[in-house]
Amino acid sequence: MAADHSRNEGDMIGRALPRKEDDPLLRGLGSFIDDIQEPAGTLHAVFVMSTHAHARIVEIDVSEAIRLEGVVAIYTGKELAGRIKPITSDIVQPGYQPVKRQVLATDRVRFVGEAVAVVIAENRYLAEDAAELVRVDYEELLPLIDVDQAVQADAPKLHDETTGNVLFQASFRTPRFDEVFASADHVVRDSFQSHRLAVTAMEPRGCLAVYQRRNDNLTLWTSTQIPHIVRTAISNLLDWDETRLRVIAPDVGGAFGGKCSVYPEELLVSFLARELNAPVKWICDRREDLMTTTQGREYRFDVALAFRKDGTLLGALAKIDCNIGAYPSFPLGASVEAGGAAIYLPGTYRMPEYAYETRAITTTTCPSGVYRGVAAPVASLATETLMDRAARELGLDPAEIRRKNVLVASDLPYTNAVGARYLTGSFDTCLERALAAANYAEVRRKQSGDRLRDGKLHGIGIASVLEHTGQGTLRYRQRGIVYVPGFDGAQVKVEPNGRAIAWVSQCTQGQGHLTAFAQIVAQELGISIDEVTVIEGDTGFGPYGTGTFASRGAVIAGGATLRASTRVAEKIRRIAAHILKVNASDLKLSNGRVYASGETSMSIREVAAVAHSMDARALPDGESFGLEATDYYDPQVAPTSNAAHIAQVSIDPATGLVTIESYVVAHDCGRVINPLIVEGQIHGGIVQGLSSVLSEALRYDQNGQPITVSLMDYLLSTSVDCPDMTVLHEETWSPGTAGGFKGVGEGGVIGALPAIANAVADALVPFDAKINRLPLLPHVIVELMRSSSGLPGGHESTALGERNRLHDSVAVREEHAQSHECIS
Amino acid sequence: MKPSRFEYFSPATAAEAVEILANFEGTARLLAGGQSLVPILNFRVFAPAALIDLNRCRGLDEIRKDGTLLVLGAMVRQSAAETSETIRACCPLLTATAPFLGPNAVRNRGTVGGSLAHADRVAELPAVAVALGATMVAEGPKGRRDIAADDFFLGDLTNSLAVDEMLREVRFPVSSPVQRFAFVEATNRHHDLALVGVALKLTLRENRCEQAAIVVVGIGPKPTHLSASERSLVGNRLDADAVRNASALSIEGTEFESDPHTPASYRRHVLPALVERALLQAMSQGLSIQR
Amino acid sequence: MAPTRHKIELTVNGERLQRHVEPRLLLSDFLRYELRLTGTHVGCAHGVCGACTVSINGSTARSCLTFAVQMDGAVIETVESLAPRGPLSALQQAFHEHHALQCGFCTPGFLMSARELLARDPDPSEESIRMALRGNLCRCTGYVNIVRAVRAAAAKLKGEGGTHGS
Repeated sequence: MAADHSRNEGDMIGRALPRKEDDPLLRGLGSFIDDIQEPAGTLHAVFVMSTHAHARIVEIDVSEAIRLEGVVAIYTGKELAGRIKPITSDIVQPGYQPVKRQVLATDRVRFVGEAVAVVIAENRYLAEDAAELVRVDYEELLPLIDVDQAVQADAPKLHDETTGNVLFQASFRTPRFDEVFASADHVVRDSFQSHRLAVTAMEPRGCLAVYQRRNDNLTLWTSTQIPHIVRTAISNLLDWDETRLRVIAPDVGGAFGGKCSVYPEELLVSFLARELNAPVKWICDRREDLMTTTQGREYRFDVALAFRKDGTLLGALAKIDCNIGAYPSFPLGASVEAGGAAIYLPGTYRMPEYAYETRAITTTTCPSGVYRGVAAPVASLATETLMDRAARELGLDPAEIRRKNVLVASDLPYTNAVGARYLTGSFDTCLERALAAANYAEVRRKQSGDRLRDGKLHGIGIASVLEHTGQGTLRYRQRGIVYVPGFDGAQVKVEPNGRAIAWVSQCTQGQGHLTAFAQIVAQELGISIDEVTVIEGDTGFGPYGTGTFASRGAVIAGGATLRASTRVAEKIRRIAAHILKVNASDLKLSNGRVYASGETSMSIREVAAVAHSMDARALPDGESFGLEATDYYDPQVAPTSNAAHIAQVSIDPATGLVTIESYVVAHDCGRVINPLIVEGQIHGGIVQGLSSVLSEALRYDQNGQPITVSLMDYLLSTSVDCPDMTVLHEETWSPGTAGGFKGVGEGGVIGALPAIANAVADALVPFDAKINRLPLLPHVIVELMRSSSGLPGGHESTALGERNRLHDSVAVREEHAQSHECIS
Repeated sequence: MKPSRFEYFSPATAAEAVEILANFEGTARLLAGGQSLVPILNFRVFAPAALIDLNRCRGLDEIRKDGTLLVLGAMVRQSAAETSETIRACCPLLTATAPFLGPNAVRNRGTVGGSLAHADRVAELPAVAVALGATMVAEGPKGRRDIAADDFFLGDLTNSLAVDEMLREVRFPVSSPVQRFAFVEATNRHHDLALVGVALKLTLRENRCEQAAIVVVGIGPKPTHLSASERSLVGNRLDADAVRNASALSIEGTEFESDPHTPASYRRHVLPALVERALLQAMSQGLSIQR
Repeated sequence: MAPTRHKIELTVNGERLQRHVEPRLLLSDFLRYELRLTGTHVGCAHGVCGACTVSINGSTARSCLTFAVQMDGAVIETVESLAPRGPLSALQQAFHEHHALQCGFCTPGFLMSARELLARDPDPSEESIRMALRGNLCRCTGYVNIVRAVRAAAAKLKGEGGTHGS
């Protein structure tokens, strides 16, 4: 993808413009939460974390800790009782049980890492010294580390206010499901287990609260995706006037859903700043991050797909269990993963019949939240894996079975079995383009039955996926998620110097909003992108909004920016029309000027001067001063993006190590604002998916102790694990959203899990291996090979035995011949 | 993740370092490259009363050939293993293992002696030291003593140095033209920490294997000779059968440990293939010593 | 009882300075808080992610695994030294053109590692680039554009006849 440097000729939307954000970041002048200059007297908070998964707090002794030099204060849950309300995500949904989370545990701890006390000291080093000296007396209770334990009839109730440990359940059945399923020619089924993941943004969380007593104002800088929601939550839970609160998201070093919750730390740090009348700062270190930042994707999905013998997909049956940890996250709640899984399972196919049961279950593990794609990657994994298996069992190629079932143009608009509506899409086109780009037919033609080539097993895998993007107020109401507004706003303003500024209610963690939205403003106003500044993340400026998550940036913030810019452009035309004495509809904006026909024009800067009454010429009658507009945007339709991913892998049969050999994706996110940024999102999403398929897993031992609390144990993919990628673009403009934009942030992950899993399954076809659990670490691959029907039973085989069994092949003989030659 | 308080010393000689070490009676730690030690301190897994920084000690970073020995001061950086001509010429197995020791930033600071003394159960250099029959030279208040590599590694993160001793230098036998070497490992990700690693040294005489050292790390708490495999090669031609035999014997009488992430069965599964690969790699080297 | 402070004299980004530091002060914290050079980021504090990569005496190192007290007499360079007189270096420019950064948190570490690679190997293959950068983690870009940017920078610098300006 070549960068496009043209600044103001023609349309800005669609340009592959390098980003306005880059310069300070490249120079090391970024301003991430820990980079912000601390005001004099800033105190540092460290949390004393529970060392038990489930226990009663008997006593907390801070006497030794408080005496340490440099320690200013220590608070426990008891001291704060009643002063900070608990976080409660009361989602309005049948089958939902809300629970409270105290900012500091009071009587009971429910996961290792839950904060029981906070130490405030002059610097972080001293605060950690003191935290070590806090003595907590626990009475251990039974840990519940997985869903099976938590749903046992005799399992302890984790939360006093609930019945049992199932915090949400829902079920659904289409009217003809039973009869269709019962009479289907062919059913494939499996139980899919995905491992709990840590979001692991490169920058962990953190916040800095600065209180000003004069006006009883508090400013909280926090590494967040949802500054307005955080502000409102602080107001509600601390009982503070929201007009005296300001929340600012600084530069944020990645988020991916891990910073999409209101956290106890944010409430506490705000409270402490006011209480102590001093700035208070807390930076999450990586160990804390792996133990306390919301995690995701610990699921078990029992899925069955029913087919006619010609491969036509008839329906799906799913039983979904999500381990959501000790507390639901706020504001998205306990149902977001369980509900999302059910909605995503039908995928990109015509599928009339569907039945599901879904549950969100609380356990004594770290709270789960939303992690890029939420449940969609695993739901897609289940569907796509079973599609491949059905294909093999019915004698079809995996591409064929998809061609048979994928939604085509004549199906659209399509309402799926659960009522999700796809107005437009290019499901079949993307599939064909990806297959062609990956040379799929050729790869299949050359593929051997034993999958071996050059001593490795090779496979190719397809995934056809979609992504629900840009969900607005209607969807959040439907899901009962009442603390997520669903709209976003933009205030676009042209200053007297003719330059534009746009305050947008979202915020960015690397998605390039400051460039993409500037492209929109520049195009609408006809000015150079260098004369547009986009500011986000500061609740002190601009409109209220929802924040950046769930692939809503381009659709909703982009949409609001577009609509506000359009109105400003209309006003520019009205003023210029009045001055140039032409019709407003005859005027064009470009190159920083307003053009009528012929030579007649005036600069936008002049128009701005008139609008601010800094020109001899007056505004038209009835026209207001200033040159700005604020728009709140709430799309009525949540547009669906789609993609087809094709991965090729090779597996070392001796060690089980998987290599991604190539990766092709054809995607459609509607109208593209900046192809560089879109591709970046896709690359990044794919690698996060790849990483979770091949090596990431958070583990707890049987006592609920987390054993992956460092990056030496929690394995992220590095540059040598990942391939270069080919990204093909389709642009099916969204008819129902301003600008025609669709979202793209999560699609990469959603497609990568199934594509890679299917490629691995294909490479392991000689072993009839069923891929149904993640991650596919080398030892898992080896286990799949060993436990296949092809192996002699009753004896533990070795990789050497494996290799020898696999190929009495030329490669080995050649190697031996060579070495023999060498020595003689 | 800030470390606990400690006192800091930066002695100019090994003798001084040892004296300070002795004074602290086991509560001090020697700081070499820091790549293994400092993470432990940052996690507060361990809080020494003092750190004795060896980075300024004179003479500890020498690389010299001394007759039939390659002598590496304990503070020779791991990156030197890849770039030093002397090491390449005298001890090609060290050079071949260098890329496995970690990314550049780790090898720039990490030291050969530090890694050996740290004795991590999956570290590569301990396997190499044992395979080459290296000698560790310890220095304590009472002077120096030699410790054979076979006796140096006692268990995970445990070496046989006394509480008041430091590793001063390591002596490797200089390789000869009739020797072949290899290092291979199985990992969870590409070019990652080892799950299982195999260091191999073969000595040939007239087309037969005169001596074989095959040392594995990652299956237990310390580097282990695969004695059955080694014995099977001695006196025989190195052909396909010998390779197959040696590989298969690698699991005979060998104990494999599990950890929370990887089962013992995987280690058992993968070891023979690693031995085979190491043998084939070593055998494919030419008659002259290669890089 | 306050800990003993040790005097260190060192050069950071070309500037000679002198400070007194507590032994346990990590170099990453010294650079960030004492010198206000906040371009070097801390992503893990245990030497895995590479966000804290700086150059010590000409070689890259993880500043989260080094103590400031060890740096007496050292010459340190951080990301802030790459474009001291305004224009971005060829490497930084290539990152910009190829969209090799998204959130920017890991970027300083990548720049320092890539700079060292190009100084040692002016014409690296894609594989060499990936190998050299495997000690730097990124969660945003998937590494694709980072690798492309480094190749482009290498090509540009080769065309200009050297690595000066990287």
